Amino acid sequence: MEINRRNFIQLLAGGAAGIHMTPLPWKLMDDIAIWTQNNWPWVPKPEKGRFDHEKSVCTLCPGGCGIEVRKVGDRAVKIEGRTDYPVNPGGICPLGAGGLQLLYDETIRFTSPMKRVGPRGAGQFTAISWSEALATLAERIGMLRKEGRPEALAAVDGNRRGNAEGTLIRRLLESVGSPNYFRMPSIEDTYTTANLLMQGNPGPMAYDLENADYILSVGPALIEGWGAPGRVIAAWGRWHESSNGNGPKVVQVESRASNTASKSDGWVAPRPGTEAALALGLAHVMIREKLVDLSFLSNYTHGFEDWTDEEGRNRKGFRSMVLDGYAPAEVEGITGVSADRIVAIGREFGKAKSPLALYGKGKGNLNGSLLECMAVQSLNALKGNINKPGGAVVQEGLPVASWADVSPDAVAARGLETGRLNGSGSPRLPLSESLVENLSRAVLESNGTPPVDTLLVFAANPVYTLPDGGAFGKALGKIPFIVSFSPFRDETAAMADLILPDHTNLEKLEDVVWPTGLQYPFLGLSRPVVRPLYKTRHSGDAVIALAGKIGDPVAAAFPWGGFEEALKERLRGLAESPGLTSWDESKPAWETFARGRSVSPDYDSFDDLWDQLESSGFWYRPTHAFYTWLSCFRTPSGKFEFASGRLEQAVKAAAGGDAGDGLRKMGVEAVGDQAYMPHYEQTLSGDGEEGLKLVPYELFNVSTDRLPNPPFLTKTLFDTQLRKDESFVKMNPATADRLGLEQGERIRIQSDAGEVKARVDRFEGAMPGYLYLPMGFGHTAYGIYQKGKGVNPMNLVAAGKDPLSGQSVWWSARVRVSKA
Amino acid sequence: MENQSNASEKRPQGGSNESGGLLNSTFLPPFSLKGWLFVLAGLVPALIVGWVVFPMVLYSSQQQPFNFSHVVHTNPDIGIEGETEQELCMYCHYFREDGTFVGIPGMDTCTMCHDDPEFPYGQTEDEKIFLEQYVAEGKEVPWLVYSDQPECVYFSHIAHVKMGGLTCGQCHGDHGRSETLPVYKENRLTGYSIDIWGRNIAGYSKNIKPAEAGMYETEDDEQYLRTIETEQGEETYHIKMSSMKMDDCAECHTIHHQEQNNACFVCHK
Repeated sequence: MEINRRNFIQLLAGGAAGIHMTPLPWKLMDDIAIWTQNNWPWVPKPEKGRFDHEKSVCTLCPGGCGIEVRKVGDRAVKIEGRTDYPVNPGGICPLGAGGLQLLYDETIRFTSPMKRVGPRGAGQFTAISWSEALATLAERIGMLRKEGRPEALAAVDGNRRGNAEGTLIRRLLESVGSPNYFRMPSIEDTYTTANLLMQGNPGPMAYDLENADYILSVGPALIEGWGAPGRVIAAWGRWHESSNGNGPKVVQVESRASNTASKSDGWVAPRPGTEAALALGLAHVMIREKLVDLSFLSNYTHGFEDWTDEEGRNRKGFRSMVLDGYAPAEVEGITGVSADRIVAIGREFGKAKSPLALYGKGKGNLNGSLLECMAVQSLNALKGNINKPGGAVVQEGLPVASWADVSPDAVAARGLETGRLNGSGSPRLPLSESLVENLSRAVLESNGTPPVDTLLVFAANPVYTLPDGGAFGKALGKIPFIVSFSPFRDETAAMADLILPDHTNLEKLEDVVWPTGLQYPFLGLSRPVVRPLYKTRHSGDAVIALAGKIGDPVAAAFPWGGFEEALKERLRGLAESPGLTSWDESKPAWETFARGRSVSPDYDSFDDLWDQLESSGFWYRPTHAFYTWLSCFRTPSGKFEFASGRLEQAVKAAAGGDAGDGLRKMGVEAVGDQAYMPHYEQTLSGDGEEGLKLVPYELFNVSTDRLPNPPFLTKTLFDTQLRKDESFVKMNPATADRLGLEQGERIRIQSDAGEVKARVDRFEGAMPGYLYLPMGFGHTAYGIYQKGKGVNPMNLVAAGKDPLSGQSVWWSARVRVSKA
Repeated sequence: MENQSNASEKRPQGGSNESGGLLNSTFLPPFSLKGWLFVLAGLVPALIVGWVVFPMVLYSSQQQPFNFSHVVHTNPDIGIEGETEQELCMYCHYFREDGTFVGIPGMDTCTMCHDDPEFPYGQTEDEKIFLEQYVAEGKEVPWLVYSDQPECVYFSHIAHVKMGGLTCGQCHGDHGRSETLPVYKENRLTGYSIDIWGRNIAGYSKNIKPAEAGMYETEDDEQYLRTIETEQGEETYHIKMSSMKMDDCAECHTIHHQEQNNACFVCHK
């Protein structure tokens, strides 16, 4: 049989038709589609295996939300909010959810102790053993003690005030003989100092915001990361869910239309740094229209009315000061908020039953302005909404036990008598515990031997986060020996000579003390949910081991086998105090709290408490002695003080007699009686004529503090925030037109401190005359997902000092703009 | 028209011209018998390749580490307790306290009974492998899992068993009565087991169909009958999944009036 061309085509056609009558092409197409989705190295695939959920507490910000980590075998695969945790029932913020990338990205972490081999800042290290690393450092500290200058050891610590690790580090310096322990700035500094001056005890700020019926939020990024994000967002949801419209009204005070401002019931935009004037303008309206709690004011406050002091002089009171100096028309001139609006908000606040004025600056990672905080707190006092449900509650701090006192030897005792390098605690700056910026200045201004020989840096990245125009980084250049305890390859660690890497959040046992702003005492226990991946060591354990290597008498101050033992001794205090380690999910803790009924502890011994802490992860006391105005204020007058007696004493001590001189030394321009009361002073960074000002701002979905930003979060940014490697600066279209700038145009922003380049985003929600540049970008360290992405606004901010506290003014800085 | 017919006549014709009749129907090309034979010669092997060879090539066949008899283990006489078939299954395939499903149980479950490698309960070769290579060594058995879903799928057993009231067999078939473990067949392209992506390679679903009277007579079949309350009254369905692909899930949800559970984020978290 002859096969011709036609037959051959017939054969092929038959075959083609036949194949299409089988599943082959269709199934193959489907499977190839699946194959293309599965077989790429960047598609994360957890191991197969048993699922587990482990409960812990997030330590990525001071909010301390409860988290539940889903694990497959030993691998953590997802972080979720815990629904059985009183602070944040189920909620969690983007950084908390993205935290796994901080654990598992090896390129941003130190995997073992290291010593520097390349030039400083180049980030070239070689691995060494823990015993070598600790011995090197112990020897150096021993030498300083031998030379009789233990004060040349300094530490910069990013731990929360009062947590066990921070206390342990401070103890190390004390036992060595150095007063130079510095904590990184945070909003807690402002809160505790304001409370000290007005209420007499340096306790945490405790806002019972869930029970308030009117919220005036002066500055905090309420739904963008302030406090415990899970808590505030849950409260926000309840306020706005209320179907009958009876939820509290929320008014946000902020110069930029942030997400919080946009979603609030009201938005008031004063010029940045004039919030104190606005608060006092509202106080003026309330006092003038008698919308204040006169009984509280006359019985439990000092300095409201004009008064006579011990020496018989007539003193001006808060009432006269506010009525004379802060009329709405005048406040309009300072803040730019119309007088009508001030009157309207003042009336709303005054007429509410339990209105709560909250103070903050963004997320609260940096300090606020002390005078502003006091001005805001005085609004609560005017309404008598202090130590009441729905008000600002007077709290003492956690009832943790103290360790035995350190007994310094002769060397240490002499070292401890030297003045602290940042001048804080001195008569000139009596109100601030730590001023890291001043430490940089002391080092930079020194001639000859630098005052700091060995610097230890814990849980902080000051080179990047401090609003000092890069001064800290320059100061590091003059410090002979720098030791970083950071788990991450951050900017500060890049300058270090020795790396003693800490565990990261999910590998570490930590006590989470009092989430920022929470109304009731709370301690969370963050437990490791995975075994440490690398040769890292808990900084608490490292400090104890280091003390052991330094030898007595330093070693004697650390009698514990490890951090856990030290922590347990500290938490013993909780067992002697009523509290709970369990929570009934059907009863929100803030409801129980507001009832104020006594709590009988659900543990009967410390061991019992510890067991429960390990399983539940928290201790709290959802109750309070409200209305105890006769006893809760520990000011010189025993009352809530509009005119702070403690401040007056401090000023006298600073001046040695001449009060005006004392005030000037503390950076206060006001004279006379108002200087001791909450009043308005301009806070601005940078010299020069009036012009454009820069406001650094924080994004909820970007890590703006010491931690690297997880790449997951970078994916959530708009291209008007960051596009490729360029930051966008938001400015009002009117400002942009005046400067002749189009959308997306590249500009150079200069200040006295430095210069950055960014692109223009014309944004109606920006205040005219101000430029808004996002924080959290412009890293020069970490890995490929962080390095070189955008610019860091902190490079432009420097020099401004907040009156009284002496801390940085970072919320407004003079800048110049030119096309790039 | 004329031109065309002329062209047709001039066309060289292969083979005999007697092939008129049936094959000259207007719907088929005017091929000669020989032509049709060539078409068939292409078609038939293609069908064989597509239906027989292709599935054999697409799927690898792998044996489990050793055989496991479900029948032996569901025998109440050996101490596996349970009043219903479901309870028997759940003696080993149980829910943990937190509601997660244990799946193929780990060695800790096996050693509740097989706790001593020296004293076997039976004498089969498979049990010897089990005791010597795994129990004695303290190693988990590397079972090949027929039901592993892709990573992007979240499936909750407890929602289907406790809330949906499905029996094990409705999705997994009669494993409880099997003597031997089926051969594990893995799709060489996708890496998923054949049991997930369909025993029926053509993709025709015969999983779920309305029951007709007298259709199911054996006891085996009856256990897969399921009466569902609808607005129109009761309807009886025969539900026995032969694959566990997305469409199968959706089909069953729809029949059970759980259409809301067909939304993307129910399974793809």
